[in-house]
Amino acid sequence: MADSNETLTVRLWRGDATEGDYHTFTVPRRENQTVLDVVTEIQRRHAPDLAYRFACRVGVCGSCAMMVNDTPRWTCRTHVSKVAGDGTLTVGPLRNMPVIRDLVADMTEFFDKWQKAGGRFQGSRTRAEPMAEVDTTSKARRHADASIECINCGVCYAACDVVGWDKDYLGPAALTRAWTLLNDTRHADQRGTLDRAMDQGGCGSCHTQGNCMRACPVGISPTGAIAGIKRMSLLDFLGMRGR
Amino acid sequence: MQIEQGDTDILILGTGGAGLFAALHAKQANPDLRVTLAVKGLTGKCGCTRMVQGGYNVALAAGDSVERHFMDTIEGGKWLPQQDLAWKLVTGAVERIHELENEVGCFFDRNSDGGLHQKAFAGQTFDRTVHKGDLTGIEIINRLMEQVMALDVARLEEHRAIELIPAADGSGLSGALLIDMRSGGYRFVRARAVLLATGAGPTMYRYHTPSGDKTCDGLAMVLRLGLPLRDMEMVQFHPTGLLGGPDTRMTGTVLEEGLRGAGGHLLNGDGERFMERYDARGERATRDIVSRSIYAEMRAGRTTPMGGVYISMAHLGRDHVANSFPGMVKRCADCGFDLAGGRVEVVPTAHYLMGGLEFEVDCSTGMPGLFAAGEDCGGVHGANRLGGNGVANSTVFGGIAGESMAAFVASGAPLRDPDQNAIDAGIARSERPFGRPAGDLHGLRERLSETMWDEAGILRDADGLARGRARLDEHRAELSGLGLSDGNRAFNLTWHDWLNLDSLMSISEVIVRAAQAREDSRGAHFREDYPETGNLDATCFTRVCADGEGRLSTEAVPVDFSIVQPGETILTDTAAAVE
Repeated sequence: MADSNETLTVRLWRGDATEGDYHTFTVPRRENQTVLDVVTEIQRRHAPDLAYRFACRVGVCGSCAMMVNDTPRWTCRTHVSKVAGDGTLTVGPLRNMPVIRDLVADMTEFFDKWQKAGGRFQGSRTRAEPMAEVDTTSKARRHADASIECINCGVCYAACDVVGWDKDYLGPAALTRAWTLLNDTRHADQRGTLDRAMDQGGCGSCHTQGNCMRACPVGISPTGAIAGIKRMSLLDFLGMRGR
Repeated sequence: MQIEQGDTDILILGTGGAGLFAALHAKQANPDLRVTLAVKGLTGKCGCTRMVQGGYNVALAAGDSVERHFMDTIEGGKWLPQQDLAWKLVTGAVERIHELENEVGCFFDRNSDGGLHQKAFAGQTFDRTVHKGDLTGIEIINRLMEQVMALDVARLEEHRAIELIPAADGSGLSGALLIDMRSGGYRFVRARAVLLATGAGPTMYRYHTPSGDKTCDGLAMVLRLGLPLRDMEMVQFHPTGLLGGPDTRMTGTVLEEGLRGAGGHLLNGDGERFMERYDARGERATRDIVSRSIYAEMRAGRTTPMGGVYISMAHLGRDHVANSFPGMVKRCADCGFDLAGGRVEVVPTAHYLMGGLEFEVDCSTGMPGLFAAGEDCGGVHGANRLGGNGVANSTVFGGIAGESMAAFVASGAPLRDPDQNAIDAGIARSERPFGRPAGDLHGLRERLSETMWDEAGILRDADGLARGRARLDEHRAELSGLGLSDGNRAFNLTWHDWLNLDSLMSISEVIVRAAQAREDSRGAHFREDYPETGNLDATCFTRVCADGEGRLSTEAVPVDFSIVQPGETILTDTAAAVE
């Protein structure tokens, strides 16, 4: 149990799109304390105009991801004891996105790229027709199911070095969504999605470093998804894609 | 005061299931419509549709019927629902679930034969809850977001609405006044039709489940417009919220119902199982009974160190629990608790407002130009909402609202000039804290949440409600004098905390007034001084309105049993026999 006199030294990034730096705060250490709780405590007791973003508090909305000791994490589900063993914590806005203010990053481009990668289902049936029967044991469906827990939190996008140096790169989350669609037998625009995912800034830009996979809070492997799209594209080129 | 101005055909406040479906259907009705989404957080990321674990109630399977779903909804709602709304819910759900699968792209869990899986959920006579594991809300909102983001729809993200502005000539609604949270400036958006879909949420209670952005802003705005709120005493409590202490945002978040269903035990602070003392079904009793029983143990002082009770799963086998509830076990582990092998402290937690703005089947309201859908609305669920009817409600009525607003615009709805006085008043209200001495805003919110928990919570009586009402007056006076330093207004969360508290106090008062007015016990509303349910045939709903000075009045309005009378059923004998 954390000692009631124990404290935590927190370096928190404050600033806007043009400039900023780290400010140091000292907060009490508590037994049940997440990084989001630490940020909240600083807003409530030390810096009332501190900007940060959160919504659901339980790892469902993907609004509260920040850089925690240089690693992107959901702050609502990161217990302080996991990341502040030495009693210090450094918190900043998500990497690879423009800063709005303090700990709030602008996710607009992240979602624009989601669309650009073809991440939108197009059905062939209407609401007036029965639903498709789908074999849930098929290989395609298992591939599709592998990524359903993605909540578009942007953690993988912040973890990816390629995104940092190649502004055109669509990034791990968007391409993972494309892979899910390519394995969804109900998705009518297979050609469009494959072409978009393989276009400039798509799968060819991935360097297979695996940062995304290690950072994903729900254990999804965008690296695997991107490799899958590349394989599918090759088979498609050879006229051997099985569907 | 500099105010940004803009016009649109349709302005949608909120981007949960209701707001996103409204945008989708409005654009399907007429792709040329200018549709603008305004949301307090990011599109699809705030609000509670995304947090739905259970699933989506819809009558699809052989042997089930919309009539049966309807009767479950009416009986679950203790004969208080507006029956035409409940009928629209159950019939609309059939179309909407097909649309979600076939057009929006959701993929729901299947049976081994490839058809949809429908699970059992409390309070229903048929297994009809469609789901995607226990992440149904994520699947629905993620797919909806993708569809809406692909459309030509303007998005005002991190814009909170602070006032609905009537037309200067009194003919209807002109638009909405918002704060652009990112800049801290004001924006007025004029629209031919406005949808209220901000999702209410009982976050004025000490323990609550909804996402942090929800603070009843929408209800507070329509109350100020003078529109009627109904059934506001009906606050649903979920029995098992996580208890982590006062200084963590994880406190109050839901530990799913299935834990009790699977055989989990509830233990009081003495380590003793207590549920069988209250109900023969033990831990498997319904939400309201379990919540009241836990609360009774707490009031008797038999609590855990943090003031709740324990949920204990370990007797079912650590591996079995870990495999059956991976999401819950991981969530607890991330927060430092061992659900699979240890005991976790839990407490009942405020979950959903059944009450809300009175609205019609086409989502129109008492003011021309204002439409409403989702948790902001009252009348669909009555005294109790069935698990799985919440997301059905938001998506069914959200879609209808989109169509209704498109038709309303097509019929020639004008852009109405705003009542400048209302704009000025809205700004003045929001400016109030600046220039006043900064104080303990968070402490005030805690005091409000204690008042609501203690005096207008799970068990109520006349004395407590009267005390609560007096306390609310004190809280209101304290808020009026409490200020903020006028520093950087961009993304100034403490300013928004002040505004949140303003909305929560307005609606807390409405809840207390409605709870005072209902002198019987039914569904979520339990009066210790009136423990019996009154005569069902004479069922009335409560209506609360504010006058121009903000004074509230309450009224009891008879329920119109337009489809079925209490004690009767619309099921035929053969259909009724399928149990």
